[in-house]
Amino acid sequence: MSDRLPDLRRAIEKLLPEVDGVLALKTGPGGILAPHLFVKERAAELEALALWPKEPLPDLLKKILKAHPTAKLAIVCRRCEERGVVEMAKHAQLDLAHVTLIGLQCTHDEALFCRCAKPATIHAKIVVGTPVEGVPDSVTDDFVKMDQAGRLAFWKEHFLHCIKCYGCRNVCPQCFCNVCALEDETWVETGRLPMPVPPMYHLVRAMHMTAKCVACRECEETCPAGIPLAIHFRLIARDVEEMFKYETGAVIEQSPPQLLVLEEGEYERTGLPH
Amino acid sequence: MMYEPKIIGFLCNWCSYRGADTAGMARLKYPPNVKIVRVPCSGRISPELVLRTFREGADGVMVLGCHIGDCHYATGNHRTAKRMPVLRNLLAYSGIDPERLYINWVSAAEGEKFATVIQQFTEKIRALPPFAEVIHE
Repeated sequence: MSDRLPDLRRAIEKLLPEVDGVLALKTGPGGILAPHLFVKERAAELEALALWPKEPLPDLLKKILKAHPTAKLAIVCRRCEERGVVEMAKHAQLDLAHVTLIGLQCTHDEALFCRCAKPATIHAKIVVGTPVEGVPDSVTDDFVKMDQAGRLAFWKEHFLHCIKCYGCRNVCPQCFCNVCALEDETWVETGRLPMPVPPMYHLVRAMHMTAKCVACRECEETCPAGIPLAIHFRLIARDVEEMFKYETGAVIEQSPPQLLVLEEGEYERTGLPH
Repeated sequence: MMYEPKIIGFLCNWCSYRGADTAGMARLKYPPNVKIVRVPCSGRISPELVLRTFREGADGVMVLGCHIGDCHYATGNHRTAKRMPVLRNLLAYSGIDPERLYINWVSAAEGEKFATVIQQFTEKIRALPPFAEVIHE
């Protein structure tokens, strides 16, 4: 296996003169990893280029592009981040014409860490690393084997530890509404802990992630209570794929199903009565 | 005392609510457990509304709208048909019986169908334990 770090450094160096900046990770003072915008004027900074642990870069890309709409930027993205960029473009959060994708293939170990079904980039023209096969998501698969009472007990136990820090929402690259339902007193009461059953906060968020979750697992990584939040999102993603033939972040031209009217054959697959 | 389930029925103004009227005018009998909330369109019923209805103590929730193709707003009920199945699955993934959420289409002329679906859904919910018992065990 070739070493991805020097390969990525070379790819960025080559691209730097053509763009205004390249968003990637950099090791900062004290060895702390942080997102960084590399520019051609300070190409020497590439010495400190870093790969892991991953950080939610697409969200920053969107913020920079909102502040500088004419900028041409590149972003180093793993498959999940690539999905994130594509979905953001579909929801008018950024313009893909201003973005160059540098695909970074995850290693098998990284795929295992994220229980990632599809770790290989598909849209990026510049690719670093060797694509690996997806791995099964045993956490979700084990959960779904449980019966109703087991599932309820599972979530009651986990959500008991939720401190409603909103970390999962804040870190989510796909949470970009100007007005958030989770801040609406009608749905989520301020200061109510532990979560009520059913846990409005988490179920509303899960519904809002329909056809949007890019399976990056940033929510789980950021959760101070270690709640396996991705289970809901991944199960719904499987259903959406089946019902609406929509895979998040896969086809740039395909609009998210929840924004469209029913298409031929979709109703039959929803299981609703005739 | 016998358990009487509390059911909230969200009915669209143009078809299902008039279907309820038709059932009433025909003097059709159906159980009184369903409390009806009239809404402009079944597409108005967001997942948040259904979830909060459960949190407020409903044992079952019905969403009735116009048949696909007959929506007063052309495609309002397409929204219902797209979100409600996802919400039903989410309930199942949360350990809540998805049968507690019922979706169907009742036109203004279908008084008999209205009475039947109310009857059947009430019986189905009555057969389940009270929701409050299930979630607070």
